[in-house]
Amino acid sequence: MGRFLRNLYIPLLSGSVSAGFPSPADDYVEDNIDLNEYLIKNPFSTFFLRVKGDSMVDSGIQNDDLIVVDKSLTPKLGSIVIAMIDGEFTVKRLARKNDELYLKSENHDYPDLSFKNHYDIQIWGVVIYSIHHLG
Amino acid sequence: MRAIALIDGNNFYASCEQSINPQLRKKPLVILSNNDGCIIARSSEARTLKIEMGIPYFKIKKKLDQLGVVVLSSNYSLYGDISKRLMNLLRSHCEKIEIYSIDEAFVSISKPHDNNLYPWARELRTLIYQNLGITITIGIGENKVNAKLANRLAKSINSSAGIFDLTTINKRSDYLKKIRVENIWGVGNQTSKWLKSKGIKNAQELKDMCQYELKKKLGVVGQRIQMELKGYQCLPIEEIKSTKKEIQVSRSFGKPITKLEDLKQALAIYSIRASEKMRIQNLQTSSITVFARTSHYSNSIYQKSAHKKLIEATSNTNIILKIVLELSKDIYHPEYKFAKAGVLMQNLTQSNYFQRSLGNYTSIEDLKKGEVLIKTIDSINRKFKTGAITWGITQRSLEWKMNKNLLSDTSTTDIKKIPIIII
Repeated sequence: MGRFLRNLYIPLLSGSVSAGFPSPADDYVEDNIDLNEYLIKNPFSTFFLRVKGDSMVDSGIQNDDLIVVDKSLTPKLGSIVIAMIDGEFTVKRLARKNDELYLKSENHDYPDLSFKNHYDIQIWGVVIYSIHHLG
Repeated sequence: MRAIALIDGNNFYASCEQSINPQLRKKPLVILSNNDGCIIARSSEARTLKIEMGIPYFKIKKKLDQLGVVVLSSNYSLYGDISKRLMNLLRSHCEKIEIYSIDEAFVSISKPHDNNLYPWARELRTLIYQNLGITITIGIGENKVNAKLANRLAKSINSSAGIFDLTTINKRSDYLKKIRVENIWGVGNQTSKWLKSKGIKNAQELKDMCQYELKKKLGVVGQRIQMELKGYQCLPIEEIKSTKKEIQVSRSFGKPITKLEDLKQALAIYSIRASEKMRIQNLQTSSITVFARTSHYSNSIYQKSAHKKLIEATSNTNIILKIVLELSKDIYHPEYKFAKAGVLMQNLTQSNYFQRSLGNYTSIEDLKKGEVLIKTIDSINRKFKTGAITWGITQRSLEWKMNKNLLSDTSTTDIKKIPIIII
């Protein structure tokens, strides 16, 4: 777990101390915001991947985003999942139409994928966060 | 009632690679040792092709190409990360755990009322597969020897689906007969030779052997194995490993070393690593050895070591580096091509029991200063990345560095190398 404990601390409160007087806020600084704690619930089954492409833009996942994937979660209808299809990873939304599950793209220019047409298909994990750099 | 299970990852290194790279799934895959020397791991698909372990890569390269086998250099940071995750998941689903190797652990579990541990084992197997994408084998016995044995049976019996519980088997002797003595945990080469000379060929025969004859030849160690085969528990689960007796860092070079400068550089890098390892475990050394040798295949074989005892134990890289660089001159020889070198730290003691020698040369002030400096370097390296701060000698270009031509280069621990997914 070592790597996960290598936390990045951002002070919740910080006051510069003017000479002579202690900051009245000093007694209230309690903790730091820990992004690892916020983003990762199950550290032993959480993986990071980098996304290239725009087939999921309508879901908020954009080109170059960093996605956080928890493999311990069981995918539900509507989950955004990492699927392995014929030896390739892809990201899609798990959806249902006419009682049949399929993988939905979140961009009109891309096709949806049906489970029927693929010989080797497996859900690898559930995407829980997408981290987007605003530049 | 409690039982012990030995849990290990199947084709662990290959499975780690396949779990994060879907293109490698269902493909024959082999992993090479450091320096791309020999085959050290195979995916089940490569096993099916009858590719054997331990074969030097250059001997089998052609065949692998023809068969379309994927070949990778070992990626230990990946295997180490998956191993850590595996052990932590096991820890949260078992009562006690002893990590036995990178992909093996003994765990202790209490039996349910109906004595049936198969549901627990099936659930754990599913959980590990879902969380990490690797398949595990679970062997259950009354003790460690039997758990190991059960694990072997789980792998060899196809219908077992990766789980075998020796404790609920009716006719145990049928199964013990299938295990050859050399495959029993704790039976080494010499022992199995002696046992065979006495007509003892399998686990059942060892179990039934005259205990006095066994004890006379093999002592308590042999007796313990026999007792465990009989179902008694002699070897406890060791949750905390006793501290290491020595720390060694050694590697073979990608290219043979002929220059003293290069040998010094290699030994310096290994010393920095060894010192770090000591500090992580709160250990100090008072005996430093360096060694180097030519290749075993070389025409003129040469090997030499040099040694220094310290008056005061230390884990300070600066002090250790000075000594190692001095010693490296003693083992260097301009006429030989060195293929491997290493450093060995012995007489390890806990840093907290710090002993000041009477005739020490460093003042307490200097000692404290040195310690603070090293601690600062360690914390900076922990925060950023190993090697963020290092010693100048490591910075010259490494001409002898290990070959890792076929590294998959994917990482689960380095954000710059995480898998890329095209969507």
